[in-house]
Amino acid sequence: VSVAASRHVTQSAGLRRAFGRRMDQFGHLLLAALITVVLAFLLLPLLMVTVMSFDAREYLGQFPPPALSMRWYERFFAEPYYLQGLKTSIALACLTMVISTSIGVSAAVGISMLPTRAQRILTTLFLSPLVIPGVVVGFALLIFYSRAHVDNTFLRLLGAHVLITFPYSIRTVLATLSGLRPSYVEAALSLGATERRAFWTVTVPLLKTSIGAGAVFAFVFSFDDVAASMFLSDPTAYTLPVALLSMMYANFDLVIAAASLLQIVMTVLLMLVLDAIVGMDRVVGTSVYKA
Amino acid sequence: MAVVGVRELRPLVPAFLLVLGLLALPLCMVADESLRPYVSGHIGSLAGAPLTFANYTELLSPAYANFFLDTFRLSLIASLVGIAVGLPIAYIIAHETSSRTRRAWIIFLVSLLFLNVLVRTYAIGLAAGPPGFGRALASFLGMRLNGRDYAELTVVAGLLHCVLPMAILTMLAPVQTLNPRLVDAAEALGAPRWWAHLSITMPLSTRALMAGFVVGFTFCVSAFVIPMVLGKGRVMFVSNLIYTRFGEAGNYPSGAALAIVLLTASTVFVYGIGHLSSKLWER
Repeated sequence: VSVAASRHVTQSAGLRRAFGRRMDQFGHLLLAALITVVLAFLLLPLLMVTVMSFDAREYLGQFPPPALSMRWYERFFAEPYYLQGLKTSIALACLTMVISTSIGVSAAVGISMLPTRAQRILTTLFLSPLVIPGVVVGFALLIFYSRAHVDNTFLRLLGAHVLITFPYSIRTVLATLSGLRPSYVEAALSLGATERRAFWTVTVPLLKTSIGAGAVFAFVFSFDDVAASMFLSDPTAYTLPVALLSMMYANFDLVIAAASLLQIVMTVLLMLVLDAIVGMDRVVGTSVYKA
Repeated sequence: MAVVGVRELRPLVPAFLLVLGLLALPLCMVADESLRPYVSGHIGSLAGAPLTFANYTELLSPAYANFFLDTFRLSLIASLVGIAVGLPIAYIIAHETSSRTRRAWIIFLVSLLFLNVLVRTYAIGLAAGPPGFGRALASFLGMRLNGRDYAELTVVAGLLHCVLPMAILTMLAPVQTLNPRLVDAAEALGAPRWWAHLSITMPLSTRALMAGFVVGFTFCVSAFVIPMVLGKGRVMFVSNLIYTRFGEAGNYPSGAALAIVLLTASTVFVYGIGHLSSKLWER
C-alpha cells in the first residue's frame, strides 16, 4: 500500500511540476508579447511622425508617403511665426535655467542645514509647484500679473517658468547632499578651512553633477511647457509650443511634424549630454523620482 | 543643530520669495476671484464687488459635474493601465543582469519623459487619425472615427504614452528593493516560478504600484494639451474648461472657482494616497 501511495505522490508532484513549467513558458511568452506591444505603442507613432515629416505631397495624406522631400522643413524655417516662437523659447529656457538653478541650489543647501522636521516641511513647500496643475499655475499668475501690473510678456513667462522648474534643482541637489558624508567637510574644517571655504572647495565640487542634472531638467521643462505659457503668451511674446498648439488646433499640418522631428532630435542630443555629465543610472536611481 | 541662526536661513530667501510671491499670493487671488460675481462683458471681476458662492454652486449642475467625471474616469483608466502594464516591465528592467540593456531601457524611457508632450500628442493624433491606422482601428473596434468613443480612446492612448514611461521609472526604485532571493526560496520549496511571483512579488510591489499610480494620476488629472488636441472638442478635461472660461468668455470668476476645485481635489488625492501608503508601509 505504501509503495502505491508514494508512487501516486511522486506522480502528482511530477504533474504539478510539468504544469508549473508550462505556466512558466506561458508567462515568458506573455511577457515577451507585452514588451513588444509596449515598445510598438511608444515608438510607432514617433516613427510615423518622422517619416511623414519628409512627405512630398502637398496635403496631409495616408501613411506611408509615396515620395520624400524637405518641403515641410523649408516651410518651417520660412515661417516667421514659428521662428519668433523658437527664438523666445530658447531665450526663455536659457534664462530660466540659470535663474532656476541658482535659486534651487541655494535653497537645497539651505534646507540641508536645517533640523529634519523643518527640512521635510520646506521640501514639501518648495516642491509643490510640481504637483499643482500647470493650468492652475498659469491662470493664477495671469490674475496676479494683471493685478500687480506686470505688463512685459517675456517677464510674465519667465516668472512662470522659473516657478515650475526650480524644484528640479532642489530635488537633484538635495538627493546628493543627503548622501554626502559629513566627515568630508569636517576634515576640511579640522585642517583649518573656514566654513565658507569648506563649502566652496569640498561641497560644491561634489555637487557638480547634480547641479548639472538640475540645470538640464530646468531647460527641458521650460522649453516643453505649454499649459502655463498658454495663459501668459500674447502676440508680442509666445513660445514655440504655444505657436505649434494653436496651429495644431486649426489643422494637422505636416509643418508640425517637421517641428516635432526637430524637437525629437534636440531631446536625444540633450539626453546624450545628460548621460555624459551624470550617467543615466544615477539620474533615475537618485534624483528624478525620489522626492 | 538645535538652534538655527538667521545666517543659515539666508540661502532659503530667494526660493521663499518665489513660492510666496508667484504661487501663494496668486493662489489667494484666485480664491478671492472665485468668490466674486461675474459681470458679463467685463473681463475679470469688478473691484469691491460683494462676495458670493454662486460660482461654486453653479459647478454642482450636471453639465459641470460631467467634466469632472470625465476627467477622473479617463485619468483613472490611463493610470491603472499604466501601472498594470508598467510593473512587469519595471521588474524586468530592475532585475536585468546585463548593465548595457538596463542602461538602454533607462535612456529610452527618460528620453520619452523629456520629449515634449505636444510632440507625443501630435504623434498619437497622426497615428490614430485618418493618415495612420485610424480607419482600420475604428472599424475594427466598431466605433465611428468621429465619434465620442473613439475620441475617448485616443485621449486615453495619449495619456498612456506619457504615463507609461513615468510609471515604469517611478516603480523602478521600489521594485529594485525587492529581494529576488524570496522568489528563489519559494521555488526551492517547490512553488513554480509564476506562482512565486504572483504570491510574493505582487504583494511586495504594492508600494511601487501606489507610487506609480500617484505619479500617473496626478499627471492625467492636470493634462491640458492631450485632451485639448485629441479630444477634438468631444472630450474635455477640467483644465480645458478653465482655459475656455478665460479665453472665450472672459469669465474669470468661474474659471477661478474651477481652478480651486481642481487644485483641492488633486492635492487631497496626492497627499491622501501618500499618507495612506506611508501608513501601510510603516505598519
